[in-house]
Amino acid sequence: VNALQPKKGPDPNAPKELGKPLTPATQVNRVRFSPDGKTLAAACFDGHLRRWDVSAKEPAELPPTFAFNGWVSTLAFTPKALVAGGSWGALGAWDTSVRDLKLLWSADAHDGWLRTLAVSPDGTRLATCGKDGFVRLWNAADGKKVAEFDAKADVLSVCFAPDGKSVFAGDLFGVVREIADGKVSRTFEAKELHKLDRIQDVGGARCLLVSGDGKTLFVAGAEPKTGGFVQAIPLVIAFDRATGKRLSQYKGANDTEGYVTDLAWHPDGYLALTTSGQPGQGKFHFWKPGADKPFFTGGKHPNCHSVAISPDGATLAVSATNANSSGNGRVKGAAGDYPANSSPIQLWSVPRG
Amino acid sequence: MLCTPVEHLLSRRRFLGAAGASTLGLAGLATPAVAEELRKQRRQVLFVWLDGGMSQLESWDPKPNTPFGGPFRAIPTAVPGIHISELLPQSAKVMKHLAIVRSVSTQDNSHSAGIDRIQRGDPKNRGVVYPFFGSAVANLVGDNGSALPPYIWVKPMNGGFIYKDAGFLGPKYGALALGDGKPPENLVRPKDLTAEEDAERNELRKLIDAKYAEQRRKEYTEANTHAFEMAAQLQKKIELFDLSKLPEKDRDRYGTHDLGRHLLLARRLLEEGVTFVKVTSYGWDTHGDHFNGAASLHPKFDRPFAAIVEDLADRGMLDNVLVIACAEFGRTPRINGHIGRDHWPEAWSVCMAGRGIKKGVVAGKTNDKGTDVATEPVDIGGLFHTWYRALGIDTQKVEFRNGGQPLPIAHEDMKPVTEVLA
Repeated sequence: VNALQPKKGPDPNAPKELGKPLTPATQVNRVRFSPDGKTLAAACFDGHLRRWDVSAKEPAELPPTFAFNGWVSTLAFTPKALVAGGSWGALGAWDTSVRDLKLLWSADAHDGWLRTLAVSPDGTRLATCGKDGFVRLWNAADGKKVAEFDAKADVLSVCFAPDGKSVFAGDLFGVVREIADGKVSRTFEAKELHKLDRIQDVGGARCLLVSGDGKTLFVAGAEPKTGGFVQAIPLVIAFDRATGKRLSQYKGANDTEGYVTDLAWHPDGYLALTTSGQPGQGKFHFWKPGADKPFFTGGKHPNCHSVAISPDGATLAVSATNANSSGNGRVKGAAGDYPANSSPIQLWSVPRG
Repeated sequence: MLCTPVEHLLSRRRFLGAAGASTLGLAGLATPAVAEELRKQRRQVLFVWLDGGMSQLESWDPKPNTPFGGPFRAIPTAVPGIHISELLPQSAKVMKHLAIVRSVSTQDNSHSAGIDRIQRGDPKNRGVVYPFFGSAVANLVGDNGSALPPYIWVKPMNGGFIYKDAGFLGPKYGALALGDGKPPENLVRPKDLTAEEDAERNELRKLIDAKYAEQRRKEYTEANTHAFEMAAQLQKKIELFDLSKLPEKDRDRYGTHDLGRHLLLARRLLEEGVTFVKVTSYGWDTHGDHFNGAASLHPKFDRPFAAIVEDLADRGMLDNVLVIACAEFGRTPRINGHIGRDHWPEAWSVCMAGRGIKKGVVAGKTNDKGTDVATEPVDIGGLFHTWYRALGIDTQKVEFRNGGQPLPIAHEDMKPVTEVLA
């Protein structure tokens, strides 16, 4: 019977790996492309911003820049700068017109972990959120605070509405608030993204994204099963922005896949998402909203933490984790040392249309 | 030899005698001055067990800005020069009462074996099962005249009489576990049962027990009887479990989650004179999403832990109560692919306070990255010596008796951490 089945060749619509992964010697929280698509930047555990010139066939690493104490937890590009936030609460902007990044301004943005930042569509405003429960707006040009909202809960994610007039902020309990002029104008409930496991609040609305047409709000995280071990089924819920009604959702196959760690919108109208996974697990998917399942899944690089799509939609970057990253007790490296883990970043070419 | 555990055996006669006295409470024994004097002589332990392993790097031994340091800051404490994680701000405020050992290095990186090895003190293997620390203290110290069970374990989920903790000491030194901090089921006499009927039923139970005992090993039947006697004593203290009568401020300070409620109950039990109170919190095994886990979990330890230390200090009870916060191990410096920390017995921390413990000190240290102990490593045997010494029990002179076999109460090749002893 098998002989009668047509042999499956490589899927012509599948993305293809572009060379070997980039290998920062540290773990990475976020990767993002610059607006011209020529630079890929990474927010790193060691407090550095790392960049690669990806305009040539072979990516070339640019000089790294120490940004903050603690982790660089998040980053984004404005039309004029690279902006980043840190786990000790700092926010900064760097001039990207020069080869060595030059600090333009910095601010003590939050008391502790600055979770995520977003850039307004016109590039003039930044939104940040933090473990301190605040959502804050900043002038992108000079880092002056222009507004704040106290969500009174750990705020994990933030994004702008396409008109830039409101921001969405997702918290630990799976509640997403649309905030305009300092007031909540609409609430989106995704409470299955949270679980109280014993005394631990687990999960939350980890990622937010608005579709390219501005009509759909995607809220992502996981349906947690436990606390410590993080058995969790990845979950992305699509809401109609105008009515707040649920439209569709993507739910992972099982609880070894972990959290959705990052989202990116492809200009062809689908979502790219990464999942954290149990050790050695974790994937990235392409999912068309409304579909039952992803139309592509990449599982070669485990424990994925960020995904970025170049503005032209032709290139994808996924940061993952080296193999054998976990283990109890003293796991020794080849040289008998005690090695840290790292985040290989794989670039992919993405078929269009 | 100063004393032997035999002198502290909870004989039925002594237990019931004390129980009779205790019915009136210490204050009813004699003058308030005498009662106060007796209270001052108590030797007690609060043992907070963070099951699964709290990360030393996000608690007592932060290494910010290092490859394994994680996202959190270190904050100053009330003791100049000592910094701990920003996730423990309330503990930082009571640091003047605390002692931290940052050079703990133990032998087992599995939960199943590690919990027993740590709580039994990991002595030399002599082919016997050593008691958990709670059972050992119950045996060595007795009930402090409280007539309450000397070893009470406040824990989430189910309760019961956990005799396995006692090892060779015999089942009656096991733990009375209060599931979710609630009294044992059916503790209170049903309303439709008169006191006389209850007494008759008890007499009948005793007759049946005696018949049952003829066919069984003595230690198990004794344990059964002991459990009933303990329940009878708790019956007289049923108000202990009603936390609703406490000031709202107390409940706010400790928190309404399990660990907060259970530590508040622990304070009440210690106030009543219970010798050893173990409070267990589960769910600390953060292999994945560790930093978000720590951000949620650690404050839920921090607030009630600092509150109980503060309350014991305010009541003058830290002179009597040895406080220990411990787990089976720490967590790996290395951050794994799903942003967790795995099991790490190599270099971790234990915090203590109270009776016999120096205030506001740190003993031992780890290297810059937190990957190794940089001073003399302290195994759990050394901590057992430290804790016994703090309780006034000389580990060189006091021995257990297993039948006729003398056994050291702590690993004889190890020694106390003198830097934390007052």
